[in-house]
Parts: sequence; C-alpha cells; structure tokens
Amino acid sequence: MAETTVSATFDVYRFDPAVDRAARYQRYTLDLAPHTPVLTALLRIRAEVDPTLSLRYSCRSAICGSCAMQVNSKSRLACETQIGPEIARHGRIVVEPMHNQPVLRDLVVDQTPFWREYERVEPHLKLDPARPMPADRPTSMTPEQVERFKETPRCIACAACYSSCPAVEADPEFPGPMALAKLYRYVVDPRDTATRERLVGIQAGGLWLCLRCHLCTDACPKDVRPSERIRDLKELAIAAQGATEHGSRHAVGFKESIRDAGLLNEMQLVRRTYGPLGLFGQLGQGLRIWRKKPEVVRRPHRIEKAEEIEKIYAALDTGTEAPK
Amino acid sequence: MIRHEVVVVGAGLAGQRAALAAVEAGRDVAVVSKLHPLRSHSGAAQGGINAAVGAEDSVDTHIYDTVKGSDYLGDQDAIEFFCREAGPTVVEMEHFGTIFSRAPDGSLARRAFGGAGFPRTIYAADRTGLALLQGLWERLGTEEFTLYSEWDLTELLVRDGSVQGLVAFDRRRGEFEMIGAKSVVLATGPAGRIYGHTTNAHSCTGDGLAAAYDAGAYLKDMEFVQFHPTALLESSILITEGARGEGGYLRNSAGERFMSRYAPHVLELASRDVVSRAIVTEVLAGRGFHGPYGDYVHLELMHLGKEKVESRLQEICDYSRHFAGIDPVTEPIPVYPAQHYMMGGIGTNSRGETNLPGLYAAGEAACVSIHGANRLGGNSLLETLVFGKQAGLAAAEHAERATAPALDAADLDRSVAPIRAWSSRSDGEDPSTLRTEMQRTMDRYVGIYRNEADLLEGLRQVRALRARFERVRVVDRSRVFNLNLTDAVETGHMLELAETIVVGAYARTESRGAHSRTDYPKRDDARWMRHTLAKRAADGPQLSYSPVAYTRWEPKERVY
Repeated sequence: MAETTVSATFDVYRFDPAVDRAARYQRYTLDLAPHTPVLTALLRIRAEVDPTLSLRYSCRSAICGSCAMQVNSKSRLACETQIGPEIARHGRIVVEPMHNQPVLRDLVVDQTPFWREYERVEPHLKLDPARPMPADRPTSMTPEQVERFKETPRCIACAACYSSCPAVEADPEFPGPMALAKLYRYVVDPRDTATRERLVGIQAGGLWLCLRCHLCTDACPKDVRPSERIRDLKELAIAAQGATEHGSRHAVGFKESIRDAGLLNEMQLVRRTYGPLGLFGQLGQGLRIWRKKPEVVRRPHRIEKAEEIEKIYAALDTGTEAPK
Repeated sequence: MIRHEVVVVGAGLAGQRAALAAVEAGRDVAVVSKLHPLRSHSGAAQGGINAAVGAEDSVDTHIYDTVKGSDYLGDQDAIEFFCREAGPTVVEMEHFGTIFSRAPDGSLARRAFGGAGFPRTIYAADRTGLALLQGLWERLGTEEFTLYSEWDLTELLVRDGSVQGLVAFDRRRGEFEMIGAKSVVLATGPAGRIYGHTTNAHSCTGDGLAAAYDAGAYLKDMEFVQFHPTALLESSILITEGARGEGGYLRNSAGERFMSRYAPHVLELASRDVVSRAIVTEVLAGRGFHGPYGDYVHLELMHLGKEKVESRLQEICDYSRHFAGIDPVTEPIPVYPAQHYMMGGIGTNSRGETNLPGLYAAGEAACVSIHGANRLGGNSLLETLVFGKQAGLAAAEHAERATAPALDAADLDRSVAPIRAWSSRSDGEDPSTLRTEMQRTMDRYVGIYRNEADLLEGLRQVRALRARFERVRVVDRSRVFNLNLTDAVETGHMLELAETIVVGAYARTESRGAHSRTDYPKRDDARWMRHTLAKRAADGPQLSYSPVAYTRWEPKERVY
C-alpha cells in the first residue's frame, strides 16, 4: 500500500536573462507523499512537466552543497527539506534563488562573490619552514585538539549562511559566515603556524561587521554554527592582539564599563571605542542624543552592590561557576 | 581556442590529485569540471581510507585482502603497488590539512571494514570523503592552474592517433569550447545513474568513460557493478559500511542475524558482494520486511549506544532522520542494496596510461584493475589519490615531449553540429524519459543476480533506447544553464555505457565477485580469469580479453 499523497502547490521563481525583463513565478501542482524532499519534487517537475526549469543539484543527500535555495523564504537545502511541514505551515511552497548572489537563471545564482570571500581567508595550512612536519608520519593530534574545530569540518559550502546574512547584504567588506567559519578552522588547527597573522588580519578585515543575529547558524544545514565561531574569532583576536578596531574596542569597553560600574557609561564607551580624538567626531551625534534623551549622557556613577558583578566577572575569567 | 599542456577532466579527488602532480611537475594545467570541485561526488564517501600503518597490521595483509576481495580478478602487481603507496598517501593528505579522527594517543583512528583482516580504515567521522576533498582542494588552491567550473565534457578530439584535446560546454555562457591539450586526464567518476537505485549523485553519468569509448579507448570489466548492501530504502542514500564496522547488525524479519548463514566467520563484515547477495536472498526467501517502498532488512545500531552512534556516525544519524524519519539511536534503519560503484572503467595501467597516446584516466572512471570483480570498502578513496597522482605524473611527462595539438576551428563545428541538431527538432524523444526507462531496464535485468534471459531482454531494451536516442530533442531554448541539453548529453553517454555493461555481463558465463549469474553459479578460472575489454564498433561493443597479472597469490575459494 502506497503512502497517502498530498496535493502540493509550488510557486517557483523563473528568470531567463535572454527573454525575461523581470522575474516571474510559475505555479506547478503535483500529488506527492508528505516526506518528499523539495529537490525530488523539482526534479519531477523537470522530468514530467517542464524541462526548462534550471537549478543546481547533485548528491541529493545534503553533502555536496549544490541545492541551497530559498524555500518559503528560508535558505535551505532543497534535498533535505520535506514538503509536508512546509505545506502545513505555509499552504504552498515558494521556491526562490538564494539571496546575496546575483541570479543567473531561475534558481541558479552566481556564486563568484561567495567563493571569493572563501579564498580571501586563505583557506590552506600555512607552515613555518623552520617547523617542518614529521617527514614520514602524520602529525600527532589528540581527540581534544580535534574537538577544537567544533563542527566546522562539516561545512559543505552550500552558502545558505551567506544567503541569509544581513551583514553580507549591507557591507561588501564583510567576508560572510562561511568564510569566517573556515578561517576559524585554520586558526585552531595545531598544524597551522600563522594563527596570529590570521587573527590580526581579520580583526581589521571585517570580523567586527557581524551583526550577531545568528541567522547563519539558523540556516546552516550541517550545524556548523558560524555565528558562534565568529564570536570565538573575536575573542581570539582580542587575546592575540588587543582591541584595535572600533568593533573590538567597543566590545572591550562595554565589558569594562559594566565591570567597573555595573552599568554602561556611554560617554566612556564612546571614548574607548573611538579614542580621545575620535570623541570629537562623535560630538554632533552626542549632542543630538543629549537633547532627546539626556539621561543617556548622565553623570557616571557606580550602582549599589557593584561588587556582585565583579564576582561574576572573576568567576567567568577563571572559568568556574558564577555565584548564584 | 583555449590551450593548456595538461587538461584534467573531473575535479574530485582523482582529478585534483592528478592536477596537483602535473602542476608540481611544472606543466600548465587546466581542470574542467561539471561541478565546483568542492561539490564533487568524492565528498559523499563516508567510511574511510585503507592503509596498513599500524605495527600489528601489514601491507601484505592489505594486498591479500584486496586480491581476495577482487575474487582474483585484480592485477596483483598493481595491487601491490597500490597497497604500498597507502601509508605515504594518507600521511601526505594529513600534511595537506585533512582533519582525520584521532585515537587518544594522537595517532590516526582506525575502524574495521568489510573484507579486511584488520581494522585499517582511517576515517574522519563518517565524512571521510568530504574531509579529504577539503584538504586536497585547499592544498591545490595554493598552486597556479586554470579552473573551468561547471563545464560539461562532450567529446575527446583525436588526431593522428593521439588525444589532442576536447570539446566542452560552458553551462554558464552556453558556449561550446575546444580545449587543446598535449595530455588529457579523465577523472570523471562513475556512471552510477545508469541505474535507478543507486547511491551515486545525479552528476555521476560517466561522461569521461563515454568520451574515451567514443575516442577508441578500451573500457575494461564493465560488467562488474558493485551493489552496496546498505542503502536507505526509497532514496538509496548510502549508509556507510562503517556502520557495520562500528558493530552494527543486519537482521531479517525473523529477527535473525542472517549473515551467520553466508559468512559464518565475519558476519556483517564480509565483502560487499557477499552481503548484498545475502540480503537479496533473504528477501527472496520471504524473510524481508515489506513496505510501500519495497522490501528491506534492518540495520541495527541501537545496541552501540547514543554516544558512539552520534559521534562516529553523525552524518548517518542526519540522513536517517531527514530522509527516512528514523532515529538510528532508537530504531533500526531500513536498508536494501543499491548500485554503488563501478569496478570497471577506462582501461589503464598503474601509471594511468590508456591505449590512446595522450589519454590518461584515474579514480572510479578508470580500471587499473585493483578492484577486480569486487572492491573492498576503504579502497576507493585510496585509489583516487594513488592513481590520480600517477596519472598526473604520466600526463605531465607526456606533455613535456608531445608536440602542440593540431586542431582547427572546423573540428569544433564538426563536433558540435550533431548536438545542435537536437535543439532544432520540432519533435523527438525526451532525454529524461529515455533516462528513466534505461534505469528501469538496468534495475530489473542487470542487477545483483543475472541470467541469460534477463540479460538478453536488457540488451534488447537498451538497444531500443539507443535507437530512440537518435531522435533526442532538446526543448529548452535558453543558453544559460540549459539543463535540458546537459540531460541529453548525459543520457547519450549512459546509454552507450549501459550497452557495454550488458554485453560484458552476457558474455561472462561464470559468477565472480559482483557478477552473479544464476545460470553459471561457479567461478570458472580456467575460462574467465581474464579482463573484459570493450571497444566501440559500428554495431556495438566489440569484446576481447586480456590476462590478469599474477604475482604471489593463487586463486582460492573465497570464504568470509
């Protein structure tokens, strides 16, 4: 007995640069089992209804990274997104190309910018000629050292993170989540000898443009958690070099302000972020804020029981459990 | 016309390793691939890569296991070379940056695999292919070469008896281009999509094999098709042999670990041909499970415990959960054999040389042969790297002394004219329909168990499909990412190759390794310990045979 099917409506983004001035949506309706992957459905459309529909796909098992696309407005791998839950939630399945990459045709995007960012983090082992690898045996690496890579070796470069990232959309200087997760993978690699150089490079190379929205982690089909690795890179970069950028100085200033007074000293934070001279550059904005919300620029003071906060900081620094 | 000294087609592990070798030899190298290199099907390999590196293991045992696994059809000189290269190859990949799983002492972790006398399969969780692919691509990325990504190979150009270049189709621009080359290395992977039930990616359509065959190269041992015992029901997604290597059980509907009947010593860890036949035999005897997606048996991991299953078989957990709605920590996985690997391919020697000057092949596209009639798990990743390097070196050497290719623009027009005709038809055959019918034919008539009547019927159907393909029609008029055109090119390739598989299987009246004839159930060393060579002729593949190379291992009956 075959499984019961549902009538599934697909609204698929179509665009052929040779004939279309703008994208259009084409509707296809198929009877399918609820566990059918979106990719299988699209391939059935290609085979049985419309061979002109274009998309990237290969392994159909979430390991080649080819078939990332927008399914009901989320960046997903079409091969591992089942139609049943999509229809239950949205009534239909809207399929569109990934974001942040120009559309070449239908669901196929130009991944040149994505690959360029990947290249930019120099994704290869850098070795110090003075510290050659053992000639005829593998480098020793403990399971604990392997743990440090976290889930980054699982990355399949599908670009779902890149597609869902608002910082990529807003700022061409931002390398994107995948490239930064890849950088993290090389930074923690015990064989790599350019750790400091990599961290110094990225601190000024767009690391702090991450908006910490975690949409990349949400989109990642392999649980690579790029936003958490970006956070790790920030900590490692400050530890290696100190805070050199507005972003990192802001982060350190924020932490210190809370530690010292128990609340945010906005004036001090601006000075710490931009420096004494840079403070003048922010004067205009400061005045505007003062006029609208004078309490923000009020006299700094220490909250009562600020010593409790110091205890939390001390506990975090030593890695022990924070006091209840 | 584009020109390079060495052109590698295919950018999986074999192609990348060939390219690296040729670049390091100082040649101007181009890589042509239908997928971005990181999307290659090598990345789907799960279980691991074999190398006898431990003090307790030995290269000789690896050689013996491979010879026995091949059912004595592997060339023993090539196998000896292959197994000796294993250790250095794995060390090199580690130095390139590959992240392997580790033992507590910091050495490379190893797991048990089918048909192996020792746990010698080195791995990276259950995504070893991906780990190697990343490691090699990121190493190759530090070198100078030209990448033509998302280009489809359509033809090899042969002039004065030697291969001097190729024609490929740039999907993005919709243009056919001629690439002149002193040496061409084919590393285009398998043609698993000839079958409907296959673990292979959609892109595994044997383009290199078909182009080599058309150019006059021999295809060797094409009838030897490996069916992996444990593919996920319905989708045929691979469930690694590592699942059994880590201690997984196979059970039938009576709850029996039925492998005790077929391989009393090693049970689930017999070689793949043995386990696949056992599963089919159990199902035919009525001891399978039945469901809307066909018959199956159970692969059980529950007794291994959540921690082990989720750490060592992380991807398998994801596949089972996403594609079958099964949690392998608490439930059995429904599995059935599916096409997985082609032992056959473009005939080469250990240096990747074919019978055509200027043409080299490596990886699954090639047949050296080290796998003979049945490949052992963990030997294919190793093959891509060992022989990819050899082919790259040989191609570089040849390019150094070869004269510049003598091609002209008319060659391109001549090559492309028949393909252009597909788009100008107002009526004709749909390539997807032909492909689907071919897959049904091959699944039904050229599967795990074969017999004369089935093979004749299969051959009749494949030939009928080939005749219909003469009238194939491409309806998509767009230039950009015209997959309808790609479909047609690939389907044409696969139909040609399907014919060589069936013809080879029909002729071989014995059972050896993965080739099981119910009408000839015994291995027949006197008549059939030889390689099948298929060469293209006007009326189909013309078969001849070549001897198997022997060194030290006398053929014995295989018992696991």
